[in-house]
Amino acid sequence: MLLARRTEERLIRLYHQGRIFGGVYAGIGQEAIGAATTLNSRPEDLFSPLIRDMTVHIGRGETVLNIFRQYLGRATGPTGGRDGNVHYGNLSLGVLTMVSHLGAMLPVIVGAVIARRRRGSESIGFAYFGDGASSTGDFHEALNFASVMDVPVVFVLENNQYAYSTPVSRQYRCRNLADRAVGYGMEGYRVDGNDAVGLYLFVQRLSRKIRHEARPVLLECETMRMRGHGEHDDFSYVPKSLLRKFSRRDPIVRAVKTLVEAGVISEEDFSALDGECRQEVDRAYRRALAEPEPDPATLEEGVYAPRGNDLS
Amino acid sequence: MRREEMTYLEAIRDGLRHALRDDPRVVVFGEDVGRFGGAFKLTAGLQEEFGEERVFDTPVSESAILGGAVGMGLCGLLPVAELQFVDFGMTAFHQILANAGTTYYRTANPVPITVRAPCGGGFGGGPFHSEDLEALFSHVPGVKVVYPAFPSDARGLIYSAIFDPNPVIFLENKYLYRRVKQLLSEQFEPEDLGAARVCRDGDDAVVITYGAMVHEALQAADELTAEQGYDVMVLDLRTLKPYDRDAVLAAAAATNRVMVVHEAWRTCGYGAEIVAFVAEQVFHLLDAPPVRVTAPDVPIPFAPSLEAAYRPSVGKIKRELLNLIEY
Repeated sequence: MLLARRTEERLIRLYHQGRIFGGVYAGIGQEAIGAATTLNSRPEDLFSPLIRDMTVHIGRGETVLNIFRQYLGRATGPTGGRDGNVHYGNLSLGVLTMVSHLGAMLPVIVGAVIARRRRGSESIGFAYFGDGASSTGDFHEALNFASVMDVPVVFVLENNQYAYSTPVSRQYRCRNLADRAVGYGMEGYRVDGNDAVGLYLFVQRLSRKIRHEARPVLLECETMRMRGHGEHDDFSYVPKSLLRKFSRRDPIVRAVKTLVEAGVISEEDFSALDGECRQEVDRAYRRALAEPEPDPATLEEGVYAPRGNDLS
Repeated sequence: MRREEMTYLEAIRDGLRHALRDDPRVVVFGEDVGRFGGAFKLTAGLQEEFGEERVFDTPVSESAILGGAVGMGLCGLLPVAELQFVDFGMTAFHQILANAGTTYYRTANPVPITVRAPCGGGFGGGPFHSEDLEALFSHVPGVKVVYPAFPSDARGLIYSAIFDPNPVIFLENKYLYRRVKQLLSEQFEPEDLGAARVCRDGDDAVVITYGAMVHEALQAADELTAEQGYDVMVLDLRTLKPYDRDAVLAAAAATNRVMVVHEAWRTCGYGAEIVAFVAEQVFHLLDAPPVRVTAPDVPIPFAPSLEAAYRPSVGKIKRELLNLIEY
C-alpha cells in the first residue's frame, strides 16, 4: 500500500511537471482493496486489475521499475511502450492486462479461471471494477456466466462514489450494488474498502470458501476516489465534505494505527519502511528514465504471434 | 483409403472432431452447441463423443462467450467459440477489437482462439440472420479472417485455425452448409491460413471472391465459356486477412481485367481493399477499370423477390464480366 501510494504520488508530480507522456490515473484512497486480496491469494490465482489497482500489481510482485517503464513508454516495460499507464499486466504473475472498456475484462477473467481449472489447478480469480462498470452489459454477462458455469471469481466491486464525474446517485438506484448478487444466484457482501486489516481477514475466509465451493461471489467495497478520474481532472464536482470524510478513513493511516496498537509494528518501523519506499521510487524512476524508448522500426512487428509459439 | 461424401457443414464438424481428438486443450462452446448440437446441427454428436467438459452450452451472452474465449486462450486452452449467427456477435464486437486483436501486440501473450460465425443469406433469413460482416473483422489488426467455399477447405482451415496461435474469425456460409458436397478421405492435411487458390484457370479476366460467391462465379465462368468462348479465372481467397497478396497480383497480371464479387455491402466492403490494392500495385497492367459486384447498401430484405435482387447472381456476374472483357 505504501509503495503504491509513494509511486502514485511521484507519478502525479511528474504529470503536473509535464514529464509524463499521456495520462495518470491514481488509486489513492483505494489501496487496501488490492492489498487485502492479493495477500490472500495463491501463485496460481488470476487477477484482472483495472484503473486504480496498483496494489494488485505490486501485491502480485510487479516491480516499481516496471511501472515507471510503463508510464514512461519505455521499450523495456511490460508492454514495451505499446500501451501506456494502467494498461499493463504480467501473466506469469497471474495478472491480466486490462483494456479501457469498462466491464470488458470481466468475461476474460472468467474464461481464464475456467482454463486454469480445466488444466488441473485450484485457481480462483479476482476481478476488479467500479460502480461505473457495474452499469455495463459485460458486468451482467460475466456474473451470470460465472454463476451458471460455477467459476470461482471474486468480483471485487470498488464502489468509489464516482465514475469520472458521475456520482453513484446517477449510476444505480438499488440500495447497495452487492444486492445484485441475489439476481445472479451468488452471495454478495458489502464491506468497508478502506479497512485493510478487516478486509484482509474477511477475504481470507471468503477466498477459502470459494476455492472449495467453486462459486463466484460479489464483494462490494465501499471506498472513495481521492483524486480526479485522471490528473487532468480537477474533480471540483466532488463535494469537499465527502473528501474530508474519507480522508479521515485513509486506508494506510488506519492500517498503521491498527497494526501499531496491536503491537505488530512500531511507529519507527513504519518510518523506516516509508523511507525505503521513497528510495525505491526514486531509484526506479531514474533508472526507467535512462532506458530507451521503442524503436519506430518495430512499429509493425508482433501483430501476429508466429506459428510454433508455445501454446501451453 | 476410405472416402466419404461430406457437406460443407459435415466437413467443419469433422475438422472440429479431429481437433478435439488430437488435443485435450481444444474446447467447443456457445449457445445450444452441446446436447442440441447447435442451431444448424453442426456440432451434433460432439458433446456425446467428448463430454460436457469439452463441448458445452453457454447462456445467451455473446460478450461472455468471446471475452471468455480470450481468457481461456490466454490461460492454456484452445477455445472454439460459436456465434449462433455472425449478426449477434456485434453485441460483443469490442471483445474482438479491443481484447482479441490487441493483446498479443501489447503483451506478447498469444490469444489462440477461434470464433466460428455462420454468415450470409439466400434463404429468407431477413436483415438479422443473413449478414456478411467480413469487412468489419478484416479491419481489425491482430485477428485473422477465414472464409472457405468448399468442404475440403472448410475442414482443413478450421483445423488450422484452432491450432493457430492468433485469434481467427472463421466465417461459415450458411447457404453452402448443405448445398456443396465433396468426397473426402478420413485423413487430411491442414490447410495453410493466408493462401488463396485458383479454382478455375482463365486468361480473359479474373473474378476474385470467397465464400458462397465462389460457386456463383464458377458457374458464371462456365456459362461464359460455353456461350461466348471466354476463359475466366476464379481466385478463391479463402483467407481474407492476412490475404494472399501475391496470388491477387499474379491473377491481375495474368488477366489484366479484375472483378471482385462479394455478397456483402458495397461501401467500404471487402472488395474495396482488393481493388485498391490492385490499383496501387499493378495499375499499369490493367486493360479495364476494376469492377465490383456486390450487394447494394441496403438492409438485407426478406421477401424472395427482394432478396434475389439484393444478392449478386450468376446472371449479374456474367453480364458484368462481359462488360469487363469487352471494355
